[in-house]
Amino acid sequence: MLTDQEIRERITEVISEEFELEPSRLVPEATLYDDLGLDSLDAVDMVVAMEKSFGVKLANEEAIKAVRTMDDLCRLIINLKK
Amino acid sequence: MSTKKIDTIVIGSGISGLTVAGLLAKSGRRVVIVEQNRKPGGALRRFTRGGIPFDIGFHYTGGLGRGQILEVLWKYLGVGTEITPVPMHPDGYDFFKFRGSETEVKAFYSYEKAKEQMCSVFPDDAAGITSYLETIKHICRKIPFYNLSLPLSPFLRDFFSTQDQPLTGAIASMVKDRELQAVLAAPAFLYGVHPEKAGLAMHAAVAHSYYQGAWGIRGGGQAVVDAFLKILSEQGVELLTGQGVERIEVSDGCVNGVTLGDRQLRAGQVIYTGHPAHLPGLVTPGSFRPAFSHRIKALEDTISMFMVFGRMNRPADLPRLDRANLYCIDRNFNLMADPAAAGNGSVLMTAPGRRDLDLSNGGDRSGEGVILMRPAEWSETMEFNENSGKRGDGYRAWKSAATENLIERAAASFGAACFDIEPLAAGSPLTFRDELGSPAGGIYGVQHNLEQFVARARTKVQGLYLSGQSSLMTGLLGASMAGLVTAGEIMGLEETWDRVRK
Repeated sequence: MLTDQEIRERITEVISEEFELEPSRLVPEATLYDDLGLDSLDAVDMVVAMEKSFGVKLANEEAIKAVRTMDDLCRLIINLKK
Repeated sequence: MSTKKIDTIVIGSGISGLTVAGLLAKSGRRVVIVEQNRKPGGALRRFTRGGIPFDIGFHYTGGLGRGQILEVLWKYLGVGTEITPVPMHPDGYDFFKFRGSETEVKAFYSYEKAKEQMCSVFPDDAAGITSYLETIKHICRKIPFYNLSLPLSPFLRDFFSTQDQPLTGAIASMVKDRELQAVLAAPAFLYGVHPEKAGLAMHAAVAHSYYQGAWGIRGGGQAVVDAFLKILSEQGVELLTGQGVERIEVSDGCVNGVTLGDRQLRAGQVIYTGHPAHLPGLVTPGSFRPAFSHRIKALEDTISMFMVFGRMNRPADLPRLDRANLYCIDRNFNLMADPAAAGNGSVLMTAPGRRDLDLSNGGDRSGEGVILMRPAEWSETMEFNENSGKRGDGYRAWKSAATENLIERAAASFGAACFDIEPLAAGSPLTFRDELGSPAGGIYGVQHNLEQFVARARTKVQGLYLSGQSSLMTGLLGASMAGLVTAGEIMGLEETWDRVRK
């Protein structure tokens, strides 16, 4: 069982690798669209990358639509892992 | 090659590539199509063995009725006058029987007749049959390809989402008989997804076009290819065959052409209609983020098939083939598992050449041809993969045993007359890998199922677009729509749609 902190670290690692973003930019308050420059085409890749890394199903989660920041994303995954 | 500047390079000359090229050329764009096979047409091509023409992939289609989408699109593109649709016999149907059962069902190419037939064979499920067929119709009223008054954009945004409900759950909630469940799930063969993974909306989109009425085409799929080639050539579209694209050139996030062998073609737009799994390896390295490359390389392929193309020496012994496709399947939803060794699994038989016979052409021998099919797994032919081109005695022996086995199973399913089929050619997962470019021999590209997001027309690379049946929907109708949607992404979705349906 991963701790919350381990999940957050793993998310940072996956996004940094899969989207070629500097880990230092992936602070909790960073918004995915404005700060990190991801768009609707990236959103699908993001969902798939998270599903694969954490073995969760995100596609049917209403909550995924409310994700705006790195912190939102981390909280969602932490919740789903519980 | 003329020196005039190319606007768009289309990679692949299947129906998506031909359609998108036609739409762009009609709007004045200069288009070049690049095809790696020697002959254009992709899965629509015909080949000839023993003097008999055989269709590889085109067996029947919907959407050719007056005012229906393919009729409208082909008229707009100017190919309509070059193509002769042949309506299936008014009593045409997919014929179903089951191993170890006396039940026979005709799934007519008509909502009314199909309902009547199913209700008479499965009276206890009559209410469920009605509500299932109404559900399919209801779903398709929201699909612009079936309801041409609708705009395209909302459909593309919302329709094929993973919010779709599981097909098997929907069917099982409406009808209880396991044979009937299998009949309702069987259109899954037309998009190559195991019913357990299929979504109701995608299923409806495919099934509807047949329950609405099915057509063949005089001269088969090849006639469609030939009609397009003629019109495209008149419009100045250039076609380069036998030339594989080695690289799609991308710099600063924008596409700027392709490399073919020793030369380059420059263009600001490239449309890739091939199998998505090959795309990351074709673009300039670093053009896509790893997340995208990983996702599309991991997309699961549709089922593969083993097919026997043969001569039916005594066609009168299988009279049903004049108006039907024959299926022998298991009860329930286990349609596509084929433990070949165990000899179970579905067997399909069709003779599209008999239905679409060109009677004005006395030399047309397509009516003698018959095609047997069964689902097949990549693993069956994987071991012969090494010696591409000359695959050797091992593969030949496997193929000949598989051919014999399929004929025996067809005879057990549809009658001893099948023993009279003289096999002329066979297609295996390896064949389809090479002919259709699917990594594991999938006959419809990647699966449109509940579990994965396919790659749509737009990509993160400026000017690089996808099309083909993997990008939207399968089959002649689905792949044509994929071509239309990709043209729309370039020229404006609703504007393009308006011009076509005007």
